[in-house]
Parts: sequence; structure tokens; C-alpha cells
Amino acid sequence: MKLAILLAAALPLIGTKFGTLPEGKGKSAVESRCYACHSADLLLQQRLTQKQWTATVEKMMRWGAGVTEDEKPVIIDYLAKHFGVDNRSFKPRHTLPIAPVRQRP
Amino acid sequence: MPVVDRRRFLALSAAASFAPAALLADPKAREQYMLQMNGYAVNAETPLELLTDYITPVGLFFVRSHWNPRTPDPKQWRLTVDGDVEESLNLSLDDLRKMRVTEVTCVLQCAGNGRALYTPSVPGVQWSYGAVGNAQWKGVAVRDLLERAKVKSTAQHLHTFGSDDPPGNVPPFHRSIEMEKVMSDAILAYEMNGKPLAAMHGAPLRLVVPGWCGDHWMKWLVRLSAQPQPQKGFYMDTGYRYPLKPGEPGVTFKPEEMKPVTELAVKSNITTAPKHAKAGAASTISGFAFSGSPDIAKVEISDDDGATWRSADLDARHSPWAWRRWSHRWTPRSAGKARLFVRATDDRGQTQPRESVWNQSGYLYNGWHSVDVEVRA
Repeated sequence: MKLAILLAAALPLIGTKFGTLPEGKGKSAVESRCYACHSADLLLQQRLTQKQWTATVEKMMRWGAGVTEDEKPVIIDYLAKHFGVDNRSFKPRHTLPIAPVRQRP
Repeated sequence: MPVVDRRRFLALSAAASFAPAALLADPKAREQYMLQMNGYAVNAETPLELLTDYITPVGLFFVRSHWNPRTPDPKQWRLTVDGDVEESLNLSLDDLRKMRVTEVTCVLQCAGNGRALYTPSVPGVQWSYGAVGNAQWKGVAVRDLLERAKVKSTAQHLHTFGSDDPPGNVPPFHRSIEMEKVMSDAILAYEMNGKPLAAMHGAPLRLVVPGWCGDHWMKWLVRLSAQPQPQKGFYMDTGYRYPLKPGEPGVTFKPEEMKPVTELAVKSNITTAPKHAKAGAASTISGFAFSGSPDIAKVEISDDDGATWRSADLDARHSPWAWRRWSHRWTPRSAGKARLFVRATDDRGQTQPRESVWNQSGYLYNGWHSVDVEVRA
């Protein structure tokens, strides 16, 4: 619901399609905690160590990502496994940069 | 602003996936072909091979957003100017348009452009080459505005506030900039390339800080506050900082061992080069160069791994802190694989290094750019 509100308020790209995360343990937790602020694209392009992912997740927790202590290791493991230093899978989508942005209610 | 229906966009997307050359041949499509780095908040870069104009078209200009903007109604919008001033201001867009007009043409580059090229990799939007553009900006000089407010001599920093809106406990993107810089060079822009500023570029008003990285160019401005001290907060005290002294790749620094990233680093890129060439026959390569210094003194090309360099021709079009287009007629000497490097030197004598200085946030990448060409006999 929160995501839907954000998208309705902020979708500026005509025809934008968001990336999707690979299957695996932790995927649903990542989706529920990370999508409120950014699309999967931002995750798909990262190439980080377990240490870097830990620091990133902890920063997001301080910023209100709502990650529980139980979810934290699962999310970090998922991100480090799929978007580690050898990740070369990201290909940016072709898109439009400029289109009307609706005013928030 | 181009209007494109969904069907046309999908057709363009499909075409872009399979035939970029067809897109390049279609001027309308050319303005609509960007690389999405984040769906929301919007981040999109320009394919380097499309950055071939002196003035980058608005539709082709990269977009960097921290958060989703609250796009204000221009009729209701006001800019507040307060702090160490004798007369606080509350101005409409019409008020600003009635003030003396100042225009500048200059480069805007995200501090993190090239982050994807650093090893070891660092977190953040993995920009490659295209978070940069050169545009005409029109508006009001910050000096004119602050003199109208009768700014006091105690004010040393201008705090800048936009209307974009972070969720939860996420710190707001609030910044400040030294008064000396904004009073000498900065403008408050309401037009870009002759048209009202687009929403994604900060409408109705954004800061333009020639020669400095994009993190200072606050979008969706609603408030300026003249203050004796710098702004506090994550994006001043932790983010957008650069090491005081270069470290080894992978070595991180504490915030107090770093300073805010400010000036652009001298940099050049190749935007046009042949994939194939013939030994003994000249081919044209071209690109752009810019710096945190107002002008570029020379651009050079090497086809022998930097052992020798030949000067490129600089385009006559220029303004302080705008980029210089350059071109070079290159004649390969023998068949085989060739790698062309480009490097720029600015008017302060700073030359682009072979390797950019690694830093933990991936800012200011400016290592030599290269392209590979297959040379036939």
C-alpha cells in the first residue's frame, strides 16, 4: 500500500518498468523493506562485499527501513549472495527521463 | 517537453534494445533514450555516445534525485530568504522574473559520475559516464538576491533547502555552500536551455553552481538561509565528503579526515569514434572536456598507451565552466587492435591522471578514458 502511494505520487517516467529481484531466501524480506524508498534497480547494480552490505543495511535500519533483527542476517546474506563483488548482471533499462510529475495530495 | 504515448515509448524501448543506431538517426527518439539507474527516486544517465552536442538537450540530460519531489504549483510557490539578512524575503516566481536576468552556460555533473569504474566497488548509484551535461541556465544571480535582502557580513554559508521529501527517518537532503562561491558565481535558475525548468531538473527553481559538483545544485528550492556556520546533517557531515589526503584503494576514512566535495575534477571523454579504421587513413574522433577550473587548455590523444600524445582541436564555443567540444583526426599506423586514450589539461595546468583517486563514496572519477578500434590493413 505504501509503495502504491509512493508510485502514484512520483512516477515520472512514462513506461517505466522496474527491475525484479532473483529468487532466493530473503527475497520477500528485501522487497518489503527496500521497495518503499527505491526500486530493485538500485540493488541489482551493486557489487558489494558482505561487510559493505552489512554497513548499508545497518544504515538503512537507522533511517527507518523497518528491518527486524531476525530479518537482518537473511537480508544481508541475500544481498551479498546475489549482488556481491562479481555481480555483472545489471543492464540499465532504456527509458524516458522527463515527464510530468504529479503533485502530492 | 516531448509528449510520447505509451505505445510509442514501448516501440522506442524495443528499438533501443536492438537497434541503437536507428535511434540515433531519429532526432525525436534521440531525446528520449536514457538509461534508468533507479525507477524511484528517479536516476537516469545519458548514453555517452549521445553526448555529442555543445548544449545537451533537456530530454537527454541526466537526472539525479535523492527523494521523490513535491512538485509545487508555480502560482503558490514562494522562495523564502532569511537568516543573517536585514530584510527577509518571500518571493514568487514572478518576483524573481522581474529581477535582473543572469545567464550562464556550464557543465552539471553528479559528484558520483564514474562511480561504477572504481575498484574496489563502492555503494551508490553505479553511474558510468553519462551523469553529466552542458546547459544554458537563466535566472537571478544569488548575489543580486542576497544584496536585495541586505545580507550581513556575519553570513559565511548559504543553507539551501529543497522541497523533496524523504520517507521515515531518512535525513533530508539539506546542504550549505560557502558564501564566497555563491556570491561570485551562482545563480538561481528558472530556465534551462531557453525553456522553463522541467520538474525533474528542479522546477520551479534550482541552484546553479558553475564549476562545482551537482550535490551543490539544490533542486526544488523553497528556502535560502544566510548563516555564519555550515549546515549540519548527514549530507554535510558524512555524505559528499572526499579524503583530505589520497589513500590506497579500499582504505576508508572517518568524516573528519575528509572535506566536502566541491570543484569538478579535470576530465575528458570520447563520445564518437569508429569501431573500425583503416591503417594509413584518417578517422575523426571527438568528445568533450571540462574542469572545476573555468577553461580547458588542451586535450590530447594517445594511441601508444600514453607514451606520446597529439593535441586535439578545441571547439571555439565556450563559456567559463562550460565543456569544450574537441575533435581529432587520427591516422592509425598499422593494422591490429588500437586503444585510444584521451586526457585533458585545464587552464590551471591540472592534467587528468591515468588512474582516478579511489575514495569510499566513488566521487570525482576522472581517469583517462579510452576506446578500442579495430584497424584493418
